[in-house]
Amino acid sequence: MADTPVVKPGDVTQRVGVEVIRKRGVDVEKLIKMLVANAAAEFASTYYYYTILRMHLAGHEDYKEICEDARLEDRAHWELIVPRIYELGGELPNDLKAFHDQAGCVAAKLPSPPTAVNILTLLLESERCAIRSWIAICDMTFGKDPRTYDMASRILNEEIEHEAWFIELLAHERDGKSIPSGHFRRGTPGEAPYSKNSRFYNP
Amino acid sequence: MPSHDSSGKPFEVILETPSGAQVIVVQAGEHIWDAARRQGIVLPAICHQGRCLTCSGQLIGPGEFDQTDSVSYYPQDREAGFILLCTARARSNLHIRTHTQIGMREHRKQHGLPAPYA
Repeated sequence: MADTPVVKPGDVTQRVGVEVIRKRGVDVEKLIKMLVANAAAEFASTYYYYTILRMHLAGHEDYKEICEDARLEDRAHWELIVPRIYELGGELPNDLKAFHDQAGCVAAKLPSPPTAVNILTLLLESERCAIRSWIAICDMTFGKDPRTYDMASRILNEEIEHEAWFIELLAHERDGKSIPSGHFRRGTPGEAPYSKNSRFYNP
Repeated sequence: MPSHDSSGKPFEVILETPSGAQVIVVQAGEHIWDAARRQGIVLPAICHQGRCLTCSGQLIGPGEFDQTDSVSYYPQDREAGFILLCTARARSNLHIRTHTQIGMREHRKQHGLPAPYA
């Protein structure tokens, strides 16, 4: 077949699963860098720092629970991305600080003062950065790399829901306005309906 | 540094893009990337936080700009003339080469500074 890349039988230095997407126009090395940056954003910029943010939402148990859903779902995203990085021939930096510094989104550090409004604003902008980061992966892989596209679109689904949650909560808390997200709480904390329950990687 | 031009004066910014030079007007308080978009020029960007370096440009000649809205910008970046357009405000007329993200990432790596997507 004309468009089948040549990988010799028994050759373990190349992957057909990589060469076919390269042949279709994916810059695999760039894609790996973007996935590492997005993995760092999910793990270091949000999952880690959301752990702290949720601690400071006392008196707002509903906000705390929703922050927890976002936190756990970002962890699910991290778990989903890492296998794909290695499948593509990439790897994670063997240094946590180097990994943190690769993140494409700002670390969601506890704001000062840590008011509910300030925390919700930070959560909202963090989710927006995640949406922009994942739509970039979708654009890069659409019609060329169905496996990465499927993963990115699952994650994007949840990031879009997270943005809607924090718009609703911030509008209520800061502006006294009702801007419904259209959603209700997850069935279980961090349910991750797109990225976990139908996951293709099952550690 | 104030986060907006106290005089309210707009500035003229020449963008040297891969498809040629474009002249835009940047209003006081407006980010350069937003001004370009408003005038029909879509420049690269992902995070819109002044973090990921995708929107990088580099000054051609002297000029003043305010980068305080960026979450990650270093003195070494300014010394090298790099500007993060998504979160930069003009403080004078400017002449900027756009699409310099690769060069800015190399610059960051050489200085041991964070370089997302590098």
